[in-house]
Amino acid sequence: MRPPIPPIPPRKSQYGIDPSLVRRRVAELPGITSLLAKDLFPELPDVLMPGPGGVPAVRRAAEAALAGVDMARIQPGHTVNVLASHHGFTLLGGEPYAEMLKAIKDVIQARTGCKNIRLRAGVGLRFRETEEYIRRHGLDRHFGDGKAIGIAPIDQAIPIETEIGTLYGIKKAYDADWIVHAHNSDVREVHFHRQVDRAVKPFGMSYARIETRSTYHQNLGPRAANFIARAIFDSPFVQGKFAFACFLAMSPNGIVGVDADRDLYALNDRITRSGCSLYGRMMTLFGEIDECIVALDFPCPVVYVFSAGVIYANFAGANTDLYDLELPLPAYTWYTEAFYGKAGRPLLPEIPSLNPAIKMCVHNYAWTGYPSAFFSEHIPTVIVGREQAELFDRDAQNSTYTRHARILDTTEEAMAYACRVTGTAKILIFDGAFGGINLSEPLAELLVKRAPEVSRRVDEELLPKWLRQRGIPVAA
Amino acid sequence: MRTIRMLAVVDPELCTGCTICDRVCPTLAIVTDRKAHLAAVEADRCSGCPACEQRCPEGAIHMVVREKPFDIGVQVLPGDRERVDALCRAARFHPEQLVCYCTGTRADEAAAAILQGAHTPEEISLRTGIRTGCTVECLQPMLRLLDAAGVRAEPPKGGWQWYGRTVTAWDIPESVKRRYAERGFYFDEDIEILERVVNAPSQEK
Repeated sequence: MRPPIPPIPPRKSQYGIDPSLVRRRVAELPGITSLLAKDLFPELPDVLMPGPGGVPAVRRAAEAALAGVDMARIQPGHTVNVLASHHGFTLLGGEPYAEMLKAIKDVIQARTGCKNIRLRAGVGLRFRETEEYIRRHGLDRHFGDGKAIGIAPIDQAIPIETEIGTLYGIKKAYDADWIVHAHNSDVREVHFHRQVDRAVKPFGMSYARIETRSTYHQNLGPRAANFIARAIFDSPFVQGKFAFACFLAMSPNGIVGVDADRDLYALNDRITRSGCSLYGRMMTLFGEIDECIVALDFPCPVVYVFSAGVIYANFAGANTDLYDLELPLPAYTWYTEAFYGKAGRPLLPEIPSLNPAIKMCVHNYAWTGYPSAFFSEHIPTVIVGREQAELFDRDAQNSTYTRHARILDTTEEAMAYACRVTGTAKILIFDGAFGGINLSEPLAELLVKRAPEVSRRVDEELLPKWLRQRGIPVAA
Repeated sequence: MRTIRMLAVVDPELCTGCTICDRVCPTLAIVTDRKAHLAAVEADRCSGCPACEQRCPEGAIHMVVREKPFDIGVQVLPGDRERVDALCRAARFHPEQLVCYCTGTRADEAAAAILQGAHTPEEISLRTGIRTGCTVECLQPMLRLLDAAGVRAEPPKGGWQWYGRTVTAWDIPESVKRRYAERGFYFDEDIEILERVVNAPSQEK
């Protein structure tokens, strides 16, 4: 068996405990091994990162992709906002995404003579998060004094007239002649967007005001929600500013390349196909896990810790097919959570329970800044360290998270407790390991055994259905 | 019921009186003295969300643990249950439906607050705690409930707390539904699910 892959290091942030308090990583414990995603699925594409070319390879890929984009409309005296989102900074440590943002700025400046190029980096529910990344990756210096800023959904609004009525964007996202949509194709929140218009989503989310985001999560329903993003993107206001899109092209095993296009829907079709095919494969495999202990060990909120491109929130729904649009409500999405009544049960009988394969969750290291009490309430959870528990108690989004959890002092103690109580030796670690998965040997054996059949099922049965549901031609 | 543990505190040495904090506060707990260039937090109205602290450009606001935490929440008054449930369903919510993921506020509590005189999102937040967690996702349910109650709320003047109501699943034009039906948007199917939730039996005894 392979040794564990080094997990993403803890990161200093106001949303997590100090890195010095993360005394042990779960991957360091005895009995932990690793699998490369490509060993499970040899058909996954070759990647730039992790790889010997490192970040410079991403830079070259970005420059090559941008070379094919027409930038003639951008004039030297114009202003350009490069719109970014926090999620990109969680991929392989964030440096590749930061480098792509720098490349976009440099190429626009070199090609058009435009010098007033700004970075506007949107967030989820942690309003300072991208400010931290901007400083960490030197984007403030690269874009120039005051030109790289974080934007938040409670900042001043700008109304946007759409074909479904007035929606609201963040004014500072759109305060330029042109906008460049700088994103990535990592699927992340499949439970929300269901791989429908994934490429467009930030227009309804990280570039949007609370009115719009609340519409997405409360007004439209689980499969229509992402139409909000399309409505905003298609508005004359946004179309009048949209210059082009530039995406990190992702796979569960790393960064495949950079994709840039003036036609966002053409790019969207490409990433819909890769999202269903590549990530759908990994999620379907995770759905084969019969029992396990989940270990959270990554510098981001509980739901977003990831393993081979699958986030914990999606593993919590891996007992269902998240890509199948005939399934209205995944086991976890905010609409599902909303539909649990006062007795703690779903209001409709067909709402699936959270993945029963998860016997216990050991929260070794994960951040605040996302409402996570639903998970600790419905999945037995152990939190490592009093300091971490106290951080959650102070978080306005998680005032009841620890009420449902047990708190133990050390990683070793927590994992031993979980193994003893659940009786399983299968452990799946969500620690962002580059290119693969850290896990226990019994679980590795199960995944290796099941992967070939999953691959066949995805290619022959599931992928054609998933693509048809999204209007994508089945033949590439 | 929500326990308020945290309090926003302004550092007068750092505050420039820019007014951003009072424009984003969901309970209108902050007032800026424009002559003195100084923001002040009214402790009794502060629900402990970090919106002001997170947007202060000077880092002049800190969240501190209150010496005396207190509980807020609105009970459905005896004899009001029918009216509360009717208001929720008129706004197309199940009464037990969660409308704030951070604070665990359900539709019936927000509706009860409205029936007991809370006629703005800010007043509903102050009484129930809704929109005092992430401060992002639960605005529209409040506006839908206010609308269903026949209350015409106006955004705080000059504030960024909120700007307006938006579309719901039931408002999407048929032409839009037809145009995008082949692209994975399940509008009518989602309406069917939402309506079944609205009409589902209650779990509360």
